[in-house]
Amino acid sequence: MITTVTLNPSIDREYFIDEHKAMKDQYIYDDENLKVYPGGKGLIAAINLKNLGYSDVQNIGFVGGKQGLYFEKMVQDYKVTTNYVYTSNEMRNNIKIIANNPPSNTLYNDYTYSVSDKSVKEIKKRFKRSIRESDLIMIAGSIPEGVSFDIYYELIEICNELDKDVYLKASGEALKRALKAKPKFVVPYFKHTNKILDVKVENREDYIKMGKELQKEGAQYVIMPFHTNRLLFDVDNSLYLLSPEDYCIRNLLGAGDAYNAAFFDYIFQNGFDFLEANRYAAAAALDIAEHKIVFLKGRQEIEDSIDNITIEELEV
Amino acid sequence: MAIIKNYMMRSLNSVALDDTIEEAIIYMHKTEMPILPVVDEENHFKGTIYSKNILKNIIPEQYGFINRQKILYDRNQAAETLSEIQSRKVKEYMLTKTETILETDSMDKIAEIMLNNKESYLFVTNDKGYLRGYISRGDLLYYLLCTEDE
Repeated sequence: MITTVTLNPSIDREYFIDEHKAMKDQYIYDDENLKVYPGGKGLIAAINLKNLGYSDVQNIGFVGGKQGLYFEKMVQDYKVTTNYVYTSNEMRNNIKIIANNPPSNTLYNDYTYSVSDKSVKEIKKRFKRSIRESDLIMIAGSIPEGVSFDIYYELIEICNELDKDVYLKASGEALKRALKAKPKFVVPYFKHTNKILDVKVENREDYIKMGKELQKEGAQYVIMPFHTNRLLFDVDNSLYLLSPEDYCIRNLLGAGDAYNAAFFDYIFQNGFDFLEANRYAAAAALDIAEHKIVFLKGRQEIEDSIDNITIEELEV
Repeated sequence: MAIIKNYMMRSLNSVALDDTIEEAIIYMHKTEMPILPVVDEENHFKGTIYSKNILKNIIPEQYGFINRQKILYDRNQAAETLSEIQSRKVKEYMLTKTETILETDSMDKIAEIMLNNKESYLFVTNDKGYLRGYISRGDLLYYLLCTEDE
């Protein structure tokens, strides 16, 4: 069983229209122009892992209200095993308007979802009993209102107690506090700001400095997004720059989630090799970025992109 | 061979042995499930808790009331009894002799079990006893419908 965690999932709706204009009513008749997906970083990675052929992949998290029932049914359609704590409040809905004229992409992010103390206690209990069959656990994404920033720290401590490794993709204060529990893999991401551990990062030196800081604070390996590249901080303090070559980006939605899923896939297929797992993961992300797809289709497509990924060691 | 795994609901939504009756009732309400699987601290399937069983424990005479006064009296009594037991553990009210099926079992097997046991939901485990999901009468009928189409 592979476990991924999504504490702040959403129902994502994409509307494809010709013109995005104020005071202009829109009519959508073709279902190709209206897409509804279950969203959340850990969940998308879980769907990718199912597409790569893993039999049992569970997604643990909160879902809310009557929309939670709908969300769970959608997730079930991808054959992902659901393990959800139902909250009283309705879950969030993100809306994306994609227009042709002028070409635009407008996202309405919903951060209204909140969770009670009781539900937080329940998720910790549920998490502890549900990860027994997993060796490597992915915790990814934001946390809803009402949940302490210590939540990732607490979940990682449960993993430590049960001798499970953690792959953490987080940002802000939740990431900062989680480091104390020494997660094995840390992938910071940027939400609203380009700060890591409260420090603004702009150029490559800033990113390198903060990657090292993440290791100093507790991360064993750091995979740092740096524009379309990644800076890889190995446990022995060596540093690498991973870059895609000869590519044409057509889409970024889902690329990061494909990266996370493929990183797991490489380890399960070949055993742990930090650099090669990242090369394979980057090839998966490139496959998504070069095609207008959100989910991975299979391993062949990843293999096809692998020669376009280079890794060079940087002088520290 | 059509196996259960391809038709079941892959859900690990569950309550634990030490959860309270109150928690089980709230969870039943939110998930719209009248029956929940009960698991131990490692997610092994241990039995089921039915809303009907909880009701039986709080209503002295079950259903079929005619006298309005009596309904009111019994409703108040039921609420009172429920407040007495709501902090009790699920393990005190669960059924442990619940039949389960393996995820690798054939779909044909569940028709027989459902007919013999009047079960509307059957819980599915793997060969190590870990909960894997459930399958309902509706899923069985859907499977039969698809088989008919083929």
